[in-house]
Amino acid sequence: MQSILDAISLGGTYALAALGLGLVFGVLRLVNFAHAELITISAYIMVVTNDLPLILSFLLAALASTLLAIVTELTVYRRLRGTGPAIMLIASFGLSVGLQKSYELIFGALPRSAAVAPWMTGSVEIANLNMTISSLVTVALTIVILIAMGYLVDYTTLGLQLRAASSDFKTARLLGVRSNRLITSSFAISGVLAAFVGFIIVVENPQVEPMFGLNITILALVGIVIGGISSLRGCALGGFIVGFILSLLNTFLGNARVYAYSYLFLAVVVILLVRPGGILSKRNEMERV
Amino acid sequence: MTSNKLAGLTRFKMVEIVGPFIVVSVLSISVGLLSASLQLAVQFALCNLVMVLALQVFIGNSGVLSFGHGAFAMIGAWVSGMSTASERVKGNALALEDLWQPLISWNLNLYVSIIFAMLAGGLVAAISGAFLMRLNGLAAGIATFAILGLFYNFFFNNTKLGPGSQALPAVPKFSGVFEPLLLATIAMILVYSLNVSSIGRKLRATREDLMSAPALGISTQKVRWIAFTLSGALAGLSGGMYVHVAGTWQVQDYYLVFTFLTLAMLVIGGSASMWGAVVGTLVVTAVGQVLLLWEQGKSLLGVKIDLPNGARSLIIAATLVGMLLWRSSGLTNGREFKLRQSNKK
Repeated sequence: MQSILDAISLGGTYALAALGLGLVFGVLRLVNFAHAELITISAYIMVVTNDLPLILSFLLAALASTLLAIVTELTVYRRLRGTGPAIMLIASFGLSVGLQKSYELIFGALPRSAAVAPWMTGSVEIANLNMTISSLVTVALTIVILIAMGYLVDYTTLGLQLRAASSDFKTARLLGVRSNRLITSSFAISGVLAAFVGFIIVVENPQVEPMFGLNITILALVGIVIGGISSLRGCALGGFIVGFILSLLNTFLGNARVYAYSYLFLAVVVILLVRPGGILSKRNEMERV
Repeated sequence: MTSNKLAGLTRFKMVEIVGPFIVVSVLSISVGLLSASLQLAVQFALCNLVMVLALQVFIGNSGVLSFGHGAFAMIGAWVSGMSTASERVKGNALALEDLWQPLISWNLNLYVSIIFAMLAGGLVAAISGAFLMRLNGLAAGIATFAILGLFYNFFFNNTKLGPGSQALPAVPKFSGVFEPLLLATIAMILVYSLNVSSIGRKLRATREDLMSAPALGISTQKVRWIAFTLSGALAGLSGGMYVHVAGTWQVQDYYLVFTFLTLAMLVIGGSASMWGAVVGTLVVTAVGQVLLLWEQGKSLLGVKIDLPNGARSLIIAATLVGMLLWRSSGLTNGREFKLRQSNKK
């Protein structure tokens, strides 16, 4: 039972990371490798400000990652708009490495650690089942955020504009969607999501180093591609699937668990070959990426 | 890429292959003579050059991103390193205790092993390419990345076929810059020949317009597969060279840092031409060397700037991003080598 809960909570975390990536991809066709560094900065801030009350520390972290997201958009991505997805992808790759190295200069190459929200590492017994608080909190938090995001996307003007822009950016602009404002907002939201992800991981793994957010971002990227990059639901689902499978593989492979990634990557290749547009894509949809 | 400057639109011109060859060999030999550490740096640069050429021939011509070439270099290096490391070392070295028996007695001549490295890289690329070449854009990028991740994860944990996370020591080294230079020259000739061949043109046609190319009777999947296989063989060659420059095989050497550095070289130089690959490798290597001196607190021609550790990669990353902002088609703007600027189109 704990392993199922773990798998759900890991899946949920990956879904949040994937959602942040998918949001930006939807409006800009940009695969933002530097999302990893948004997660990392929030984790760093939470560790550095650990003496403050948790909520304040989290708010600072979210502020930092949101600002960083907006700054990267204003200074780099905005000026690259229209050069094509491959160029933007490589730029985000460069940005990601550059930010990692900046963290190394600012925070040092060695891990910084602090016990963030230590009460979450304990466990509780519910209906004779022992469960860690952190996985319960993660699951609850994920559900709340996913519902909030669902509401935002389905019922608000911003959400309507997001959906319009991701299905046809040009037409959305012609119909009065302010592209700059929309893109900046989606970067901001992805920054906030990154802060939640940073918080969730830093509780479980308080060793923050410059490449802290890289692993989850790469796997979330894999997730959004297999889930179906053209819809936010697909992204979240794909992220969830990757986290869920990885967690289960880790539990059930026993000694062969070191090869969990091999199986995962193999599954990714197979899924992409069968459904290049992702699991949730319509069969004959032309690829737009 | 805008349609009014069709990058890489080439017919065979002798100067486009001889020019880069002269630049590379003069620089390699003259810089290599300066000091032992610079000679080593030149050798590494030549390995990177072959890798960047491998990336250029596929990514530059097809416009499809690949993050998977590190895997082909990894396998090439593994073949060449494992088959030339001395039997005694393989049998005794602590990390290799449960190494598969036939691998211990596997013993090839250095040059033969490099040919095998190329074949191995090409074979793995041919097999994976047969499946992957129908993917485009992001799906292709992620699928090739998955190949890299798969190989990395496998070799990092497997101690039957290799040293796992450890290093395979005592791989014989090249004696100087001539061997890597010769191999890099072969790679340049191969890449340039493909670029000016009909396959190269067809591939660039699919890059410019994925919809119209098939209407001209071009099989996108086939031309991509041919370039991918050649490109995989060259990546294997690069790995095979790398292992004989470093003198050791370690799986980490062919993972993210390597992928980033070689992609950065390609983009900074300009991905659409062979000359771009050469220029990118030279410029990034030169900048990296200067920054390395400063990082170590030495002075260069009287200029001494104290750089903290790690500043080097930061500056290279910033250069990459700056280059994309300033000129997204790279320093060479997708042109091949030429002696002087002509106004003819």
